[in-house]
Amino acid sequence: MSTRLSRRDLLRLTGSGLGMVGLSQVLGAQTRRSPLAPQPPHFPATAKHVIHLFLNGAPSHVDSFDYKPKLSRFHGKPYPGGNLRTERKTGSLMKSPFEFRPSGKSRIPISEIFPKLGAVIDKCLVINSMHTDVPFHEPSLFMFNCGQRVAGHPSYGSWLTYGLGSENQDLPGFVVMCPGYPVVGPQLWTSAYLPGAYQGAYVRNTEIAPQELVPFLRNPSRDAEDQRKQLDLLSKLNAMHLKREGPAPQLEATIHSMEVAFRMQLEATEAFDVRLEPQTIRERYGDGDFARGCLIARRLVERGVRVVQVYYGNMQPWDTHDDIQHMRKLAANSDSAMAALIQDLDASGLLDETIVLIGGEFGRTPTVEVAGVTRLHAGRDHNNHGFSVVVAGGGFRQGVRYGATDDFGFKAVKDPVHVHDLHATMLHQLGLDHERLTYRHSGRDFRLTDVEGEVREDLLS
Amino acid sequence: MQALIAVRFRDAKSFHTAQGRTAPAPVRAVLIRIVAVSAIALQAGPAGHAQSAAEFFEAHVRPLLVEKCFSCHTQTKMGGLEMTSREALLRGGQSGPAVEPRAPERSLLVRAVRYSDERLQMPPTGQLSKEEIKILTKWVEDGAAWPATEPIMSEAEGGKLVIADHHRDFWAFRPVADAGPPPGRGSAIDRFINARLEEAGIALAPPADKPTLIRRAYYDLVGLPPSPEEVTAFLADASVGAFASVVDRLLASSRYGERWGRHWLDVARYSDDRLNSTQDEPYPNAWRYRDWVIAAFNADMPYDLFVKAQIAADQLDSREMGRWAREDLVAGLGLFALSPKFQDDRIDVTGRGFMALTIGCAQCHDHKFDPIPTEDYYALLGVFNSTEPYEHPLAAEKVVQSYQGERKRADEAKARLQEFLDDQSGQLVDALAAQTKAYILAAWSVAGPDGSPLAATAADRNLDPETLERWVDYLAGWPKQHPLVDDWKTLAAEGGPLAGVKRFAETVEAKILHLIAEKKRIEDENEIRLGGDRSGTNIRRTALLALPRDEFYLWSDLASPNSRDLPSPAKTGVLYYKDDKLDRFLSGVWKDHVVRSRAAIADLEARVPAKYPFLHTLQDKDAPSNEHVHIRGSRDALGEEVPRRFLRILSEGEPEHFTSGSGRLDLARAVASPDNPLTARVMVNRIWMHHFGRGIVATPSNFGMMGERPTHPELLDYLAARFVDSGWSLKALHREILLTDAYRRSSRGPAASEGADPDNRLLWRSNRRRLDAESLLDSMLLLSGRLAAESGGPPRPWDDRAIRSRTVYRFVSRRRLDVRLGLFDFPNPNQTSPRRFGTNTPLQGLFFLNSSLVIDLANSLSERLETQAGAGADERIRRGYELVYGRQPTDEELALNRQYVDGSDGDWPGLMQAWLSSNEFLYVN
Repeated sequence: MSTRLSRRDLLRLTGSGLGMVGLSQVLGAQTRRSPLAPQPPHFPATAKHVIHLFLNGAPSHVDSFDYKPKLSRFHGKPYPGGNLRTERKTGSLMKSPFEFRPSGKSRIPISEIFPKLGAVIDKCLVINSMHTDVPFHEPSLFMFNCGQRVAGHPSYGSWLTYGLGSENQDLPGFVVMCPGYPVVGPQLWTSAYLPGAYQGAYVRNTEIAPQELVPFLRNPSRDAEDQRKQLDLLSKLNAMHLKREGPAPQLEATIHSMEVAFRMQLEATEAFDVRLEPQTIRERYGDGDFARGCLIARRLVERGVRVVQVYYGNMQPWDTHDDIQHMRKLAANSDSAMAALIQDLDASGLLDETIVLIGGEFGRTPTVEVAGVTRLHAGRDHNNHGFSVVVAGGGFRQGVRYGATDDFGFKAVKDPVHVHDLHATMLHQLGLDHERLTYRHSGRDFRLTDVEGEVREDLLS
Repeated sequence: MQALIAVRFRDAKSFHTAQGRTAPAPVRAVLIRIVAVSAIALQAGPAGHAQSAAEFFEAHVRPLLVEKCFSCHTQTKMGGLEMTSREALLRGGQSGPAVEPRAPERSLLVRAVRYSDERLQMPPTGQLSKEEIKILTKWVEDGAAWPATEPIMSEAEGGKLVIADHHRDFWAFRPVADAGPPPGRGSAIDRFINARLEEAGIALAPPADKPTLIRRAYYDLVGLPPSPEEVTAFLADASVGAFASVVDRLLASSRYGERWGRHWLDVARYSDDRLNSTQDEPYPNAWRYRDWVIAAFNADMPYDLFVKAQIAADQLDSREMGRWAREDLVAGLGLFALSPKFQDDRIDVTGRGFMALTIGCAQCHDHKFDPIPTEDYYALLGVFNSTEPYEHPLAAEKVVQSYQGERKRADEAKARLQEFLDDQSGQLVDALAAQTKAYILAAWSVAGPDGSPLAATAADRNLDPETLERWVDYLAGWPKQHPLVDDWKTLAAEGGPLAGVKRFAETVEAKILHLIAEKKRIEDENEIRLGGDRSGTNIRRTALLALPRDEFYLWSDLASPNSRDLPSPAKTGVLYYKDDKLDRFLSGVWKDHVVRSRAAIADLEARVPAKYPFLHTLQDKDAPSNEHVHIRGSRDALGEEVPRRFLRILSEGEPEHFTSGSGRLDLARAVASPDNPLTARVMVNRIWMHHFGRGIVATPSNFGMMGERPTHPELLDYLAARFVDSGWSLKALHREILLTDAYRRSSRGPAASEGADPDNRLLWRSNRRRLDAESLLDSMLLLSGRLAAESGGPPRPWDDRAIRSRTVYRFVSRRRLDVRLGLFDFPNPNQTSPRRFGTNTPLQGLFFLNSSLVIDLANSLSERLETQAGAGADERIRRGYELVYGRQPTDEELALNRQYVDGSDGDWPGLMQAWLSSNEFLYVN
C-alpha cells in the first residue's frame, strides 16, 4: 500500500472534488448512463455473481467427479458401443489410476486427487451429464465462454454485465485472470459486437502487486493530493464546457467516468491485493497463480464484481493425452484453493448469491488414446459426448450428483445438460431470461444461447 | 425484438421469445428509437414519401406489437387472444375479433389501447403514447396489412425459398432511382433534407461558428486537429469559397487516406496477424494491404475498381483497370488473403462489407428474413473454395528463384546432417546402454556408502564422467515413479548389500536393452501402420503401438532424445547426447564429416538472401469446383451441388453460372456493377455515416429486412446515382456532402427541435462525437510535437516512448488487441465491423490519469509551449488553447488555469494532462 494514498484521504478528496464545482446533481443523475450501472434483472434474481474456475484443457471426468466402477472391471476391454467419434483414435477402456472416495454427508464419490473439494462437496452440485458439440478445444472453448462454436460472439461474462451492469462502479464488472493466455486467448472474454465496456478486464495474475495487475492503476509520479487538484481543475473546465454546450448526457458521463477512475485507483488497489489477507487465509488457498486467482476472485465478488473467471493456467494444462496421472499434480495445485474459496464464500453467506463453476471445456474419453501423436498410451482423448462440472452456490442444488453418463463415462445418457442449458440456467439464476437477453447485430437479435438452451429447474434447489 | 421474427417460423424454438418489459437499456433504446421515428414519419405525412404498407408495418407496427403486446399475447394467449398474425387478430379472443380492418373505431385493439373503455385497457402496464396509438389506428385504418413476408421463410420443412416480385420490391433491391432533389433553395442535398424538416416542422440549428467548423472538417477528413495558423487563416478568409478551399486542401492531403483508409479497414477486419489459438502468428506483409487501401483512398481510386481489385485484381482486364496497372491492384486481394482463423468469413465480408447483405445467415438454412436461399451461400462458397492464397512476389523472378533455390539447398544440407547426427546419437545410446551395469555399479560407488569421488571413479573404470554423473543424478530421484527407481531407493536407504546392487544393475541393463529394441520394433511397426504418412488426419486416426506406461517412462528417462519431463538441463534421456554434447563422442572421419558439414551449412545459410517481399493475394485453384449445400451447415450432410454464380435476388432471372476459373472475376463485376442496387448505396451511406455520425441507413452493413430503413431514401438514391455518374469518386462525394448547409450546422439548436427529434434523425443539427481511438492518440502525438511525418511500412510496435507514427500504422492484433485500442472502442478485427461504439468507462479515465503515454505527451506539450510562447504564463495558456482547442481562452478560463499553475508550483505538465483529458478536447462538435 502506498503511504501517499489512504482510503480516508481519497474519500475526502473525492467528496471535495464533486462539491467544489457543484456537479453532484448532474453526476447523480447520470450514473445510470454508465454502461456498467446496475440494471434490474428480468425477474428477481437468486444469484448476483459468477466465479468460474476454468480447468482449461479439459479435465478427465472419469478420474475426478464421475465415478465409474465398471471402468475398472472392464479395463482393457473394448467399449461396447463402438467408440464414439472424438478427435483422435482411442482404444480399449482404461480404468482410472485414482481411487474414488465417498465424500461428505452426501457420500458423492470424488477422486482421491481432490480430497479438499471432496470435503466441501455437500455444498456442490456435481453435474455428470454435461455435453457439448465437438471434440476440439477451440470451438468448445468458444462454446463454453461465448455460446457459439466460432469466434466473434460475446462471452457470457460480457452478456451478464451487459444485462445486469455491475454492483461496484469502481471496479471492472467482468474480470478474467490467467497467468498467460489460455488457448485462443482474449477472444474468450471479448464483448464482440456488444459495446467494449462489457469486455472482460484481463489480469495476468503472475504478478502480485495490484499496479502490475491492472493497467494504468497507479500514477508513477503524482500523489493523490496533486491528482485531486488536477481533477478539480479538469472538473471546472468540463463544467464550463458543459454549460456552454447545454445538457449533454455523453459529456456528463465522461465527467463521471473520470471521477470514478479516481476512486478506482484505491478500490482496485485494495481489491486485487492478496497481501492484505491474513497469512492463515493465504495458506489455506495455497501457493501459485491459480490459488491467488481464487483468492482475488473472492475479494472481487465481495466488492460487487459481477463475473470473475480464473483460468487454471497458460495454454491448456489439463489436456492429458499422454498420461492421465498428470492430473495428480494439476489437482494438487488447485484442490485447496477451490475448496477454500467455497468455504469462505459459504462462511460469509456470499455463496448463496454466487455461482461457483468448476470445470473445463469438455471431458475425456474413458478409452485410452492410441493415436500416433501420443508418446505413450496412458492418457485420454477429448470427449464432447459426456463430461462433468461442479457448481456450488447461487441457488443450485447442493450435495447432489445430477445426471449420468453411460456405464463407462463416454456419453451423457441420463438427463443430459448441454452447455447452452447450463448457460440458460445460470442466466436464470441471475434473473435473466436467456431468450430475452438479446442484442441486435447484423440484422438479427443475438443471444448467448443462440437458438438453443433450456433453463433446467432440476439443477436448482 | 426477437419475437417479431418468431411467429413467422415453424421452428418456433429458434425465435420464439417475446421482448420483455425489463429488457436491458440498450435493447430498450432500439425499440424506443423505432417508435420515435414512427412518430416523425406520421407527422411527416405521406407526401412523396409514402411508405408501402409493408414497410410501415415492419418499421412501426411490428416493433410496437412486439414490445407492448407479445409478452402476453403469443403463446400464453391471455384472454384467448394471440397477436401473432393478421388471421389471429381477426379471429380474436374471448371478447371477439381484435381488429376490424379499416374500422378502427370498431376494432377492440384500438379501443383497448385508447383506454376508452374502463374494462378494456391495454396494455395493462400503462397507456401507450399518443404516437403509438396513432400508429396502430392508422394501421387498422389502412387495412391492417400484415405483409406477406412469410413467403421469404421456408413454409414447410424442406420447402424452398423462391424469389418473388414482392422480394424484388423491397427498397434495397429496387434499382437506384434518382428523381432529382425537391424544389427549394440551397444545394441538392440540402433540399432533400430541408424538405423533410419542413414537413416535420422542425427548426434548424444555426450554422456552426468557424473555429468549430474547421475543427470538425479536419477531424472528419484527416483525423487530426487544425494548427492554430490554419484556424487563423480560415477565420481571416472572408471569401465565399473559404470553406471549400479548406475541404479541397484536406482531400488532397495524404492524411486523408490514413483517416478514410482506416474506416475501410474496419470493414475489412484488417489485422497484422492471424487468430492463432496458441501463439502469435503475424502476417509478414499484411501492412502492404493496409498501405494499398490508404493509397487507393488518397488517389481517389474509383470505388468500383477498389471493390473489383479486392475480389479479383489478378483477373481484371486492362480496360476496367483504367490508369492502374495490375501490379498496383493485386495488393487489394489481401482483403480475403488475410483472413482470421476458425471461421470462413469471406462470404460475410463480401456480403456485409460490399453490399450490406447478411449472406452469412444463409449458411445453414434459407435466410430467415431476406431473399437469400441457402444455395446462394454455397454458390459463393464454391467461388472462394476454388481460390487459394498466393504469395505474390514483389521481386524479379530471378530473385525469387535464387531465394528458393538457396533456401532449399541449405535446408537439405541441414536435414542430411541432422539425420547423420540422429543416427550417431542412437548408436551411442546403444553403446552406453550395453554398459549400464558398469555405470550403475560406479554410481553406487559414488552415491553409496563408499562416497568415492565421481571423476576418479569414472577414470578408474574407464567410464564417461558426464554419463556417470547423469546416472547418479537420475538414480538419486528424478521424479518419475518407475518401480525400478524405488528398488534403488531401498538399496540406497539400507546401504546395500552390494550383491543386491549388482542384481539391480543387471536387471536394469537387461531391461533397457530390451526396451530399446522393443521401442525400435514398435516404431517400425507404427511407420507401416501410418503408411509413411504422418500428416494431420492420418496421425490422429491411426491406432499405433506404444510401450506400456512404466516401460515408456524408463525408456524415455534413459534413451529418449526428448525427455521433456526430466529436470536434466539437456532435456534428453540419460544416455542420449545431441548437438554439441554429441561432438566429444565423435572422432576420425565421423568428426571430420560433422565439422565440414557444419561449415558448409553456415556457408549455405549465408548465401540465402533475406526473403523477398511479397503480397498476400489469391489465385484460382487448378481445378475449380462447385460446392454442395451443407444441410443445416453440417459438413457431414451434403445436399445438392450448387453451380458457382451470383445471388438470385440481384440477378434477373436465373443467374448465369460462373465458368471462367473460380468465378471471382464474374463475382467482382457483379458486385461492382452500376446496376447492382446495393454497392453504391452502401458505400455512399458509409461515407455519410462518418460525416454525420449516423447513416441514412442506420445499419450500414445490413440493408436487409431486419436492417433499418433509410431516413432519406430519395437522398440516398440521389447520392448513389451521383456517385456512379462521377466515376465512383469518393472525393467528389465528400466534397458535395461537406459543402452543404446540413454539414455546417451547429451541434446546438432550438429546444423545440430537440424535443421533436432528439436523435437528430432528420439532421436539423450536427452530431457531437467523441474522438475515436486513432484520432485521440494521433491528436495527442501531434500536439506534443511527437507525430512524425512518416507513413506506410511495417506495423510499429506499441512502445509508448517510441511511438511517433499515426495509430493506423501500429500493430493490430487479432489475438491480443492493444489495451489502448480496446479501451477506446477499436473494433474486434475478427469480424467485419460496420461502425464504432463510443463507450464511456472509468478505465478510460485511468488511462488519462495514469498512463505513461499521456503523461509523456503532456510533458512534451508543456515543453513545446514554453518554446513557442516563452515564460509568460498567460502567453503559454493562450498558445495552449490555440493548439489544443483551436480558440482563445476566455478571461475566466485564463484566470482558472493561472490559478492552477500558481497554486501547484508551476505544474505545467499537470495542466497539459488535464487539457488532454478534457471534454472539449475529447469531443468534436
